[in-house]
Amino acid sequence: MTSEPIMHDLTVDYYASLADGRLSVQQCGDCDHRIMYPRYRCTECFSSNLGWVDDTGEGTLHSFTIQRIGAPTEFGADGPYAVGIVKLDSGPQMLGRLWPGEDGTWDHYACDGRVVFRPADADEIAEHPAAWFATVSS
Amino acid sequence: MTATLEHALPFPEAGSAADAAFIGIGELPSGRFADRTFMGALVEVSARAIIDAGLRPRDIDTILLIPCLHGGRDQADLIFSRLVEELGLNGRAKSSMMIHSGGSTSDSATRVAAGLIASGQAHNVLIAQADRWGSAPVTDMVDMLSGFGIPREWEVPAGVTFNAVGGLITRRYMHASGSTPEEMASICVALRDWARLNPNAMFKDKELTVERVLASKMVADPVHAMECPMLADGAVALVMTSATQARRSKDAWVRIAGSGGTVSHYSLGQEADLAVMNWPRAGVEAYEQAGWGPEEVDVAQVYDSYAAVVAQGLEGLGLAPFGEAARQFAAGRFSPGGELPTNTNGGLLSAGHTGVGGGTALLAEGVRQLLGRAEGARQVDGAARAVIGGTGGTYMDSQVMLLERVTR
Repeated sequence: MTSEPIMHDLTVDYYASLADGRLSVQQCGDCDHRIMYPRYRCTECFSSNLGWVDDTGEGTLHSFTIQRIGAPTEFGADGPYAVGIVKLDSGPQMLGRLWPGEDGTWDHYACDGRVVFRPADADEIAEHPAAWFATVSS
Repeated sequence: MTATLEHALPFPEAGSAADAAFIGIGELPSGRFADRTFMGALVEVSARAIIDAGLRPRDIDTILLIPCLHGGRDQADLIFSRLVEELGLNGRAKSSMMIHSGGSTSDSATRVAAGLIASGQAHNVLIAQADRWGSAPVTDMVDMLSGFGIPREWEVPAGVTFNAVGGLITRRYMHASGSTPEEMASICVALRDWARLNPNAMFKDKELTVERVLASKMVADPVHAMECPMLADGAVALVMTSATQARRSKDAWVRIAGSGGTVSHYSLGQEADLAVMNWPRAGVEAYEQAGWGPEEVDVAQVYDSYAAVVAQGLEGLGLAPFGEAARQFAAGRFSPGGELPTNTNGGLLSAGHTGVGGGTALLAEGVRQLLGRAEGARQVDGAARAVIGGTGGTYMDSQVMLLERVTR
């Protein structure tokens, strides 16, 4: 099992924006509905006229967990890491990684707490193209 | 909900020729059995279920196979009709096919069987499952579970694992319900108390306490190691037929009084409310068909790969007030001797997580309870109505089967 980036017409633009430090989300050119993760047709009006917009990345954390034991082989050397589900203020929701605080923990996160997109560097994105979030104050 | 049903045919009347009946079950113990072969186990439970149904192998015209997760070759053997040949049904069986919706497959297979029987396209259906999940290499299974049902392009890169999925659901459930770690752990203890009454359960010999659960290592906060399901080998089979055939060969059988379901997501990141999922909607449809409600349920068998999963299932199906299931578990309501016996085989958490078979084992236990055939103290006195709740993938769907006991 590998999560080596899978390149196709939907991922190329999205991964490039992550590597560039931006969170771009899909937007329907006909009904303006914002969609994540990116789809082949609008989930609201079924249009295939889909494009990208940069999102502020602000939202609330629906839930999160810290993966401590039994990570997949390729994440095994990373030590504990956190994943969370974020409901973006612009509408869609998505799953991403959570930055630890300065103390190395995730104790400052809470369900329904405010979070914001804070990008990982291009090297990390090249290996694991995921969106990273942090608490608003950290 | 009603609008979507208006164009559908009415649900089969109890006892009519179109009414499907469970007439046989077979099961092997769950656990780790390195010497038990996959096909040997599958044939054994099939034979047990067919004999239990009072039929001969040649009476089976349709085989619905529950997938195995331990390996692709055995999976391919299932798809390509090996069981037909092993049972000596070459030239006799009409069809052999696999039904797959992950953990909710038993609900899906039951519906397919009932539909084939009701429309006269099948007479006697064998539903069969076997897996060697407990004997398969753990690392391979972890990697598999971190890649199946989780979008490869969008979520696998974040490092989601199956226990992380359990952690995300449990965290939200505890946040929404105010349930404490002790109350969550008490669910695992209640299931262990049931498993200790089940000779087929993986953990039939090991006692469990809340203190031991909470002292175990944190795996994916807030889920501890002893709150994660243990992968197990297992095998279960059921035989279904029409009420007409059931009346010929049995004094008592089990019918489907109602069924409902909702598919709410593919990726967990798209689920609107991790504390609730779509159980309430699934339940409404099923209870409407059955004509009876949650207050008349004698026994519940609801998917429980994590404690929060069975808690939210019970709540959404009206078997506990919202946010109260964990507290009611802690108070003993769902334990042996409690008001609403739940997951009486010990569930996936204590009977063993046999892959897709975990839900099949819960279904078989529900049928067994309604037939009055659970061993000793596990049998619920006078059990006549059961709720079966299933869910697959990253809890992508909420499926409900309402079962009732019928006597000739």
